[in-house]
Amino acid sequence: MSTVIARTVTRTVVPIILVTAVALLLQGHNLPGGGFIAGVLTTTAFALIYIIYGLDYLEEELLHQFREPLLESMRHGIVENYQIAFGVGLALAAVAGLVPILFGHNFLYQTYWVLHHLPIYGELHVASALAFDLGVYCVVVGALLTILAVVGSE
Amino acid sequence: MQPTTDPTAAAVLAVVFVPFAAAALVPLVYRVLGERTAYYAAAVALACFSLVASQYGTHGQVVVPWIDSLGVSLRFYVDGLSLLVGFLASGVGVLILTYSGGYMHDEPGKPKYYAALLAFMGSMLGVAFAADLIALFVFWELTSLSSFVLIGHYQRTDDSRYAARKSMLITVSGGLFMLVGFLLLHEVVAEMATDANAFSIVYMLEHAEAVQEELRAAGLFVPVLGLLVVGAATKSAQVPAHIWLPNAMEAPTPVSAFLHSATMVKAGVYLLGRFRPVLVSHEWELLLVALGLTTMTVAAVLAVAATDIKELLAYSTASHLGLIVAGFGFVSELGGETGAFHILNHAMFKAALFLVAGIIAHEAGTRRIQGLGGLKEDLPITAAIAAVASLGMAGVPPFNGFYSKEFLFEAAYHAAAHSGGLAWLFPVVAVFGSVFTFLYSIRFLMLFFGEKPTGLHTVHTPPKTMLVPPLILATAAGIIGLGGVTATFGVPITPLNHFVGEVFASVLPPAEAEGVHFGYHLPKHVSPAAVMSAVTIGVGAAAYPFYGRLHDGINRLLDVDPLRANWYYDGAVFGANGLSDRVTPLVQNGLLRTYATWTFATVSALALSGYVAAGISIPAFEGLGLSPALLLVLLVAVVGAVAVSIAPSHVSGVLTLSILGFMVAVFYVLADAPDLALTQLVVETLSLVIFLLVLDKLPAFYGTASRSRMIRDGMLSVAVGATVFVTVLVTTDTSPANPITDFFTNPAVTVEKAGGHNIVNVILVDFRAFDTMGEISVVAMAALSVLTLIAMRERGETQ
Repeated sequence: MSTVIARTVTRTVVPIILVTAVALLLQGHNLPGGGFIAGVLTTTAFALIYIIYGLDYLEEELLHQFREPLLESMRHGIVENYQIAFGVGLALAAVAGLVPILFGHNFLYQTYWVLHHLPIYGELHVASALAFDLGVYCVVVGALLTILAVVGSE
Repeated sequence: MQPTTDPTAAAVLAVVFVPFAAAALVPLVYRVLGERTAYYAAAVALACFSLVASQYGTHGQVVVPWIDSLGVSLRFYVDGLSLLVGFLASGVGVLILTYSGGYMHDEPGKPKYYAALLAFMGSMLGVAFAADLIALFVFWELTSLSSFVLIGHYQRTDDSRYAARKSMLITVSGGLFMLVGFLLLHEVVAEMATDANAFSIVYMLEHAEAVQEELRAAGLFVPVLGLLVVGAATKSAQVPAHIWLPNAMEAPTPVSAFLHSATMVKAGVYLLGRFRPVLVSHEWELLLVALGLTTMTVAAVLAVAATDIKELLAYSTASHLGLIVAGFGFVSELGGETGAFHILNHAMFKAALFLVAGIIAHEAGTRRIQGLGGLKEDLPITAAIAAVASLGMAGVPPFNGFYSKEFLFEAAYHAAAHSGGLAWLFPVVAVFGSVFTFLYSIRFLMLFFGEKPTGLHTVHTPPKTMLVPPLILATAAGIIGLGGVTATFGVPITPLNHFVGEVFASVLPPAEAEGVHFGYHLPKHVSPAAVMSAVTIGVGAAAYPFYGRLHDGINRLLDVDPLRANWYYDGAVFGANGLSDRVTPLVQNGLLRTYATWTFATVSALALSGYVAAGISIPAFEGLGLSPALLLVLLVAVVGAVAVSIAPSHVSGVLTLSILGFMVAVFYVLADAPDLALTQLVVETLSLVIFLLVLDKLPAFYGTASRSRMIRDGMLSVAVGATVFVTVLVTTDTSPANPITDFFTNPAVTVEKAGGHNIVNVILVDFRAFDTMGEISVVAMAALSVLTLIAMRERGETQ
């Protein structure tokens, strides 16, 4: 699969996909996008790397990680990072839900703030829901990549 | 007569919930106390008993909200009947748990045993006090569940498992009948009561006559009556559901004594007593008296055929429950008196007898009737207990069972004299059944007399913990019996009469319950009932010398398969096993495509037949009403779908499938749903990429399928397509006048409250954020399960 064309295209496209994913995540509250879509898109970028460069490339060449595997199928140490990602994601979503309780609101109550006079942006809406969305994003990325890496290595 | 003080809420709630809490603590307690956990459990039971006792003299209900939206509450009602069952459950519980301390000495699984016994006691107290149909049902089934654990205590033996499964199948399925009856009852009562009262038994009792009229008006009286009686009959082991009770004797003896004499089997008669004021009528009398007297006679005959002392007691229990059911069945006041009084009497003598049987089995090492005799020499106190209890069971004056049986005879005679004709069968059958009762009771008593058979080794004296509980029970039974003698001379036991009178009042319709009095005494002159008793004892005594021949004769009859109810049960259960053995490989053969075939076929069949049954018509065709651009996109999608089905290789299959997916995404774009389109695009891309990942591992070409298979699959897919098509047409046909979009597109809602302009995202992270949270948990769980599955496979666990 890894022809020169495919490699070159992947190299160019992956950063674009990632930036797009981040953009989708951030703009999600007002424009099409959101945690789930951004998560799936990020996963697509990683999946592309896996297909074109192989399963080991990502962790060894890009992230310089070498780990002793616990299990044969998890010889890709990065799976642990993925697990951490969805764990953190779930925690983030839960905390985002719990914080409003401290302020006397319901579980998962959301609010937003408007920031004025910012450079470049001018006026910016910051929704507290972004934290929850970020949790969704982490869960989707972590879980899908776990499945992808584990099943892919089979 | 009617006490008016309200019950204390805290006490009533504690009675029901303390045993459960205590059961949860048993594993911890057992670690500290070991064998002495029995005394911990007995202390809990004693606490419950004193709580029940503290509510004596109160009357009323305690309500705790539970499922408000459905009008279901945890409603507890304290009256004579619930106090009686509450006293039995907790009081006999104290004795049984104490006895267990001695009996369970060398037995396995003690923590489980005590926890299950406590949980059982809690459920039984719940049944006794619950006054909400749903709460009653929940506790009712909890008793079945905990008794399942208790009957199957020796979980390694086949007999024990068979017995546990049998009792569970019969009592739980009976409970489901009862639930349907409850729901019908609720439907009818909801017509006349407020929502909050529609499940309330207290309300029904207070408006007993009106409820019955309403039931009749709705044409549901007989169905409700039938369904409730099925529930009660399975629980109380009435013919033909009596078959689970003898098998349940596989349980440790204390369990038999507790569940099968004093409590669980009483739940059925309790239910009948509870609903008697509401349902009592001509149909009620016919159904229950026939059922009760049949059970009484059949079970008494079977008890004579029993070869094991516990089996004898089990059949005798079924027989006496039949007596109680028949008693409650008679419309006359005497019927209510029979039921109310015999519940108490039976619990006293039968629990004592079970404990005696436990002592015999434990100390003599056998339960075979043939191998026992002359136990009086070694077990004098036990013999005395057995004498009081079994003479009570036989209905010999002046022991306690005599008086309640006398009420039954009187009720039967009055019913017969009143109705005439076939009703004369009532007293005849009652006497006939009682003769057998007399026979087996005396047979049990004779275990202690006569000569000791060879082969019976020296019988040890039981420990005190095993002797005191039956002694207390037999003393109570004796006192009740003596009360009749003293009452004959004008000195009745007033507190006892008062208590039974209250029980009696609670099984009567409210109009009749005012100022009832209860009293019992020896017959002072020749009455029909006294003659019937005399006939019973006379014939019984005359027939006793032929006991052996009767025993053999009945056993020969039972060798004929179709005469045994068990034969039908085994046939049904093992037949069902065979059937499922044959069906399972067809439905679940481990191939994904088979599962898909069955699932799709079932869903289509159910949905389509549902539409047909509901008589849904497909809306008229009103033209497509689509823009040319949309039409084109959908056309390409259809082409893609066709191409998928005829694709020659995996690669082309995946690519054509993607065409379909992307066309759907474009459709979303054109239909003003950018968020959906984006999601569809991204997911479609990801699945394409993943397909590419696995593609080179798969064979390049599909295998060839047989023609018949192709035709079958083709028809199935057409059916699924048709189902979906019809469903979409039907569901989109009517739209609500106030679509929910109006709420979400309102900027005042989305922008002002949630600070977002993207409705979809605002819904996902704000309005329905809890749903989203659940969904991401599912995603995370899926990942974890993939990890687990792979890890298990690598450790060699392929199954």
